[in-house]
Amino acid sequence: MQSQDKLRIALLSAYAIAIHSFENLLPTPIPWLRLGVANIITLTALMLYGFRAAMMVTLIRVTLSSIFIGTFLGPGFIMSFCGGVSSTAAMGIIFSLFPRLFGPVGLSLIGALFHNAAQLFIAYLLFVQQIKAVLIVTPLLLLLGTITGVVNGIIGGMLIKNISEKSLNPPR
Amino acid sequence: MKLSEIRRGEKKLIEGMTLADMLLLAALVIISVSGFIFIKEAFPQGTDVKIEVNGRLAYKLPLSSDAAIAVKGINGDTIVEIKNRKVRIKESPCPNKICVHQGWIDRGAIICLPNRVMVFIEGSEGKENKTIDAITG
Repeated sequence: MQSQDKLRIALLSAYAIAIHSFENLLPTPIPWLRLGVANIITLTALMLYGFRAAMMVTLIRVTLSSIFIGTFLGPGFIMSFCGGVSSTAAMGIIFSLFPRLFGPVGLSLIGALFHNAAQLFIAYLLFVQQIKAVLIVTPLLLLLGTITGVVNGIIGGMLIKNISEKSLNPPR
Repeated sequence: MKLSEIRRGEKKLIEGMTLADMLLLAALVIISVSGFIFIKEAFPQGTDVKIEVNGRLAYKLPLSSDAAIAVKGINGDTIVEIKNRKVRIKESPCPNKICVHQGWIDRGAIICLPNRVMVFIEGSEGKENKTIDAITG
């Protein structure tokens, strides 16, 4: 791995940790319901620097921010770890198989969908164990995930455009 | 100058979405909305807690306000607790404690046969019908 890549991963991870930690301070009606704003950074890392960078950023983000928040190895950590890894994996696989098919919005939607699916699955396996309770919140999470996914995708698209324009024409 | 920049930005925003993006978005919206309808049909949301002792209505409480009450059954007091829109039997004089082990519920019923205490969660539909009945009757 080149030192430039390391720098990029470190910088993106720092942004992602800050966003993730701040998001955790916001109150939500359902536990583990998050806006997923940190996914913007994962999306940017994926589309600009590839799958490995995106996965590194996600792993660093989930682990370090859970240590900062104080949920490391707790239920919240398990949920966000599984959600983050599966959404990054899904986005990475789709992006490397069909790089032209989806734009940032579509990839962000896929990420949100898999994040929710993984979290619901983990919640069912570990904590709730009542298929009814899981089914009841599924449409709500799906709809919220779709809305936040579109918003994150648009912001991510702007960010990607901005960064790639800046790196093509360095301001000197 | 600024307006044209914003307009260009809007155009790019829409151009940035591929056909697959739009199809995926449409599919997700349709699935989640139809999911809402399905869930509403399949599991009506409860609003009231009805507690029956020996087949007779003993208490009727709103699910939305937290409470803990002692219900007199045939063997002693069953403690029913309402918290965060969920109901459980906290303590019961019955021998096997199945009702206590059932834990928190937000729909359906907990039935403690030994003490003849039944806890139901009633949907909003039933409540509406009853109020209308009361007016006409």
